[in-house]
Order: sequence, then C-alpha cells, then structure tokens
Amino acid sequence: MNLALRDVRHDLARYLLTALGLGLLLTVVLAMMGIYNGLILDGTALPDALGADLWIVQRNTRGPFAELSQISHRLEERVRAVAGVRLARSYSAQTIQRERPGGGKLRFAAVGLPWPDDHGERLPIVSGRELRDPHFEAIADRSLALALGERVRLARDVYTIVGLTEGMLASGGDPIVFFTLSDARQIQYDVANEAVRLEREARLARVRASELGLNPENLRRAHGLSSGVPALGPLPVAAIMVDLAPGADVDTVRAAIGAWPDVTVHTTQGERDLLLRGSLDLMLRQNGLFRVLLVVISTILMGLIIYTMTLEKLHSLALLKLLGARTTVILAMILEESLLLGAIAYGIALVAARFAFPYFPRRIILGDADRVALLGIVVLISVVASAVGIRKALAADPNQVLAS
Amino acid sequence: MTVPLAIDARSLARHYGEGNRRVDALKNATFEIARGEVVAILGPSGSGKTTLLTVLGLINPPDAGSLRIDGHEVLREGARVTNLALFRRRYLGFVFQRSNLIPFLNALENVQLSLELDDVPPREARGRAREILTSLGLAERLDYVPAILSGGEQQRVAIARALVNAPAVVLADEPTAALDSERGRQIMEIFRRAARERGAAILFVTHDHRTLDLVDRVIEMEDGALTVRAGGST
Repeated sequence: MNLALRDVRHDLARYLLTALGLGLLLTVVLAMMGIYNGLILDGTALPDALGADLWIVQRNTRGPFAELSQISHRLEERVRAVAGVRLARSYSAQTIQRERPGGGKLRFAAVGLPWPDDHGERLPIVSGRELRDPHFEAIADRSLALALGERVRLARDVYTIVGLTEGMLASGGDPIVFFTLSDARQIQYDVANEAVRLEREARLARVRASELGLNPENLRRAHGLSSGVPALGPLPVAAIMVDLAPGADVDTVRAAIGAWPDVTVHTTQGERDLLLRGSLDLMLRQNGLFRVLLVVISTILMGLIIYTMTLEKLHSLALLKLLGARTTVILAMILEESLLLGAIAYGIALVAARFAFPYFPRRIILGDADRVALLGIVVLISVVASAVGIRKALAADPNQVLAS
Repeated sequence: MTVPLAIDARSLARHYGEGNRRVDALKNATFEIARGEVVAILGPSGSGKTTLLTVLGLINPPDAGSLRIDGHEVLREGARVTNLALFRRRYLGFVFQRSNLIPFLNALENVQLSLELDDVPPREARGRAREILTSLGLAERLDYVPAILSGGEQQRVAIARALVNAPAVVLADEPTAALDSERGRQIMEIFRRAARERGAAILFVTHDHRTLDLVDRVIEMEDGALTVRAGGST
C-alpha cells in the first residue's frame, strides 16, 4: 500500500494547489534558463547570420557589437586587394525608435546590407523574399509585427517590408530590420532641412574666414551639397566584413590585414566571444545569480512545505511507529510525497512555460538539456526538502498516541 | 505441550523524575495473563495504568524487571529485544481511547495496513481485512474514512486492526471511554469474543465499572502498585 499516494489523495486539492505554487516558482527558474539562452542566441544571431569570416573594425576597438567602431567604407577597396579575400562588405547598424503607423512604438536595429553584394541571402527569411531593389525595401524580423507589404515611413522615404526573418534580434533584444547599406545610412544620418541649411551657412562662414574664401568657386561649393566638398570625408561605417575565397587561410588573411596600423581584425568566433565577455557578460552573470537564488528559494519553500505536511501527519507517523512500521516505510512516505510534489510542480512548470513563454517580450529558448537540468534540480531539492520532514518524522514518539 | 503465557511480567518498575520530583509510576509489578483471558486494569488517574500499558507495549522500557510475551523474553533487567517494530507487529495489538485510525486511509486500508506492515501480500491482506471488518459488522463501511465513521464504528475498526494480525496480546487504553454505555458494552463483547475465538489476551485500562462483568480478572492499581481480584462472569 502506498501511503504517500493515499495521503495525497486525502487532501488532493490542497496538495495540487501547493504544487501549483511551487510549479509557478519553477516556471520562473525555467524562464531564467530560457532567458539566459535567449540572451546568448539573440546576441550572437546577427554575426552568425551575416556569415563573415573576418570583421575589420576601428583600431584597438572590440567593435562593432561589443563597442562602437567607426571606419571608412573605402577600406572595402583596400581589403578586396588582399590575397585570399573574396568579398568585402561594409557593416552599419543603428538602433532606431520611431512611431508605428497607427500609433505605438516602432523600435528596431537598422542594419545595412552592402548592395549589390548582399541581398540578404544568408538571412533566415521565413516569409517573403530578399531585397531586389537597391532602395526602399526592407526585411524585418517577425517579432516587430510588421506585415509583408506594409509600408513604413523612415526619415524622408517610405520603405516596403518584402521579407520576414525569424529570430533576428540585436543583443539588446530589439528586432533587426535589414535595408541596403545606403538606405540604412540614409535613415541613420537623416538630418532636418533646417539643420542642413544651418550647417551650410556655418561652412560658408568658415570658408569666408579663411584664404579659401577668396575663391568664389570655393564659396559656391561650401554652400552646396556635402558630397561636393572634397575635404569632407564620407560618413563612416561600423566595420568591414570579409568573406574569404575558397581555400584561403583565415589566419594568413587575418595577419595580413591585422598588420595595417589603422584597423583591428576579429574572427566571427572572436566577435561572439567579445559579445559574451563584453556587453552580454553582466546580463548573463546577473541571470545566473538569479537562477541560483531561485533554486535556493525553491528548496527553502519546498522544505517548509514538506516540514509542515510532516507536522500535520506527526500523530499518524507516531501511530505507524506504534503499529510496528519500519523506519523505511515512514522515510519512503515522506520522500515519495516530496518527490511527487516536485514532479507535479515540474510538470506544471513545463506546461506553463510552453504556453506563457511565447508571450514574453524577449526570447526564451529552452532545450532538452535545460528541461533535464531542471528535472535534476527538482529531484535534488525534493530530496533535500524531504530530509527536513524525515528528521521530524523520525523524532515522532509513539507515546504521543497514548497521550492523545 | 504447555501453552505459553501471553504475558509474564516480573517485578516491573518505572519511575519519572529524580530527587524530590521522583514519581514511582510502576512498583514491582508481577502478574501473569494467559491467552484468551480478558483482564481490566482499574485505578484512579495517576495510578500508573498507562505507564504499565506503555511498558507492556514496549513503548517505554522499565527501569527494572523482566517481561515475557507469548513465551518470548522481551525485557530482562534493562535489556530488551532489538527489533521492537517487528515484535510489536507480530505479537501486540493496540486499541486506544480515541480510535487513532490513520485519517487518510479508509476503514479497509487502516486494517489492511497492519497486515502489509508485516509483509502480508496486498491481495491477501485486503481479503483478511475485509473478512474481519465484516465480522465486526462493518461490511458497509469499508470505504469510509475515519472522519465519517461514528465513534463506535471507528473503535470497531481499531479493534479489527488490533486483531487482524492474530496477536498474542491486545493492549487497550480506555477503549470504551468515548462511547455511550450501549456501544461500550458492544465493544467489550467484541473483545470477549476475540479472546475466546482468537485466543488473544486482552488487557485494557478502564474507569468504566459497567463493563467489568465481562472480564475474567481485574487488576487494580494505586500509586504504581498492583492488586489483583477476580473479575465478573465469563
């Protein structure tokens, strides 16, 4: 006869309610595990999806993900001349927050794809298509809740969503929208008309104040388009991505470009490591500590629950002893109830996770390893918690029965 | 072949406290009870009745004396059998003032448990439990948990639990105290029948003089000391 099951059956509603509470606590533990995985996957999704072999960034920086990096996009041409380089692509990204059509916040990371080398073929497009035109098209992540064909005004232009990706989030959790590089920079460096006029007037004043102002052609150019002023450099990009030619040795190419005094070269794995040790590191450690804290809280709570349940049964346990029950019968009863409580709570946590996590604002990614790990934790805390009850149960005195 | 005594107690003694607070709850208790005998222990509160029961039930060890149960020497000058749990399961049955049934088990399971604790296979245990409960008029109450049984029914389940293992001795602590006189008498008649049919020695503590006509012997206690007198009719 299984005494644990019969005890549970006797007050099933209360037992299930207790398991529900514990299950929700375990759901939070599971959420923390999933958030941890999500942080890593989100943080590394972009470098992984862009698929470059090498990243060239501003000298001595850990850019472009872990740190700001600015280099000239003209570096592309220098890189293309290096033996073993198949393709060099500029990388530019900027977080944008605008009004959503119809109201609401529209926040995303705008990433530029170098046209015509990259149409977004490497992206995990789940609906729609890659970019076909050099302007006014975008591929957005599905989590941004923009529909295929939806038109969004950004800066001075209207962009059409032509493709939707899955799981393309920046390390901060913002969905990524891919444009051609020139469109992304247009959005990124959009300046108001009045600001353009003021900058031109200021430029004109600076030229007039110098010897250059004696030449009317210089004055005309200074008051014109920025691109017409040769002394002004083009706007920078964050990095140059390098795709190697088949058979090229990554270390050789890296060493060749790394010898240039104006840049630093990272591999994609290096970028991942920089992210995990840099901007994501604190979040990951914080998350890890929360998980430890939650496991400790769960253990204490479960211990208290088992202890209280044992206290309520103390008279029955004393009676069992008086009737000649072996110690193992009593231990098994407490341990089984504890394990059953843990198992039900674990089941509740899995169900709650399945239905609730998709509605969380950040991605929560759970693998089988996480579920098994939580099961291990649950078994462990059930055993530890039952030890508290077992200690009390062993102290139950058969004299109690006669005294009652 | 001589049938061993159910209880053979020699000079059992037990005290509580020390110095000025010392109370001799049991003094030099020597008595014998045969199988099939029904014996009442009578005495005022604090006379040592429950102490005697806890010593005989192997719950508390005596300070001195020896005890044989069904021919087995279980206590001798402070030493006692090592496997108390096993001995209690095999040779002793308990009935209390309040039925002391396990609240999360129904009537059948309460009795069945007693057998399963002694490694009787569940199917057989269930059959034997059902049989004894039916014999005590509880065939319609097998699935009832203690909370919805009447006091008399609970006490009958407790008696069934005590008897189902066919113990040599049933120790009962005021088993009729919580019952009206009619139900109290029914319980005593059950004890009487069990002693006759199953050969168990029934030793029970009571304040209830109304049932003494159903016992073989009365042991009176006062300040821890025993006196024995003849009981009522058998």
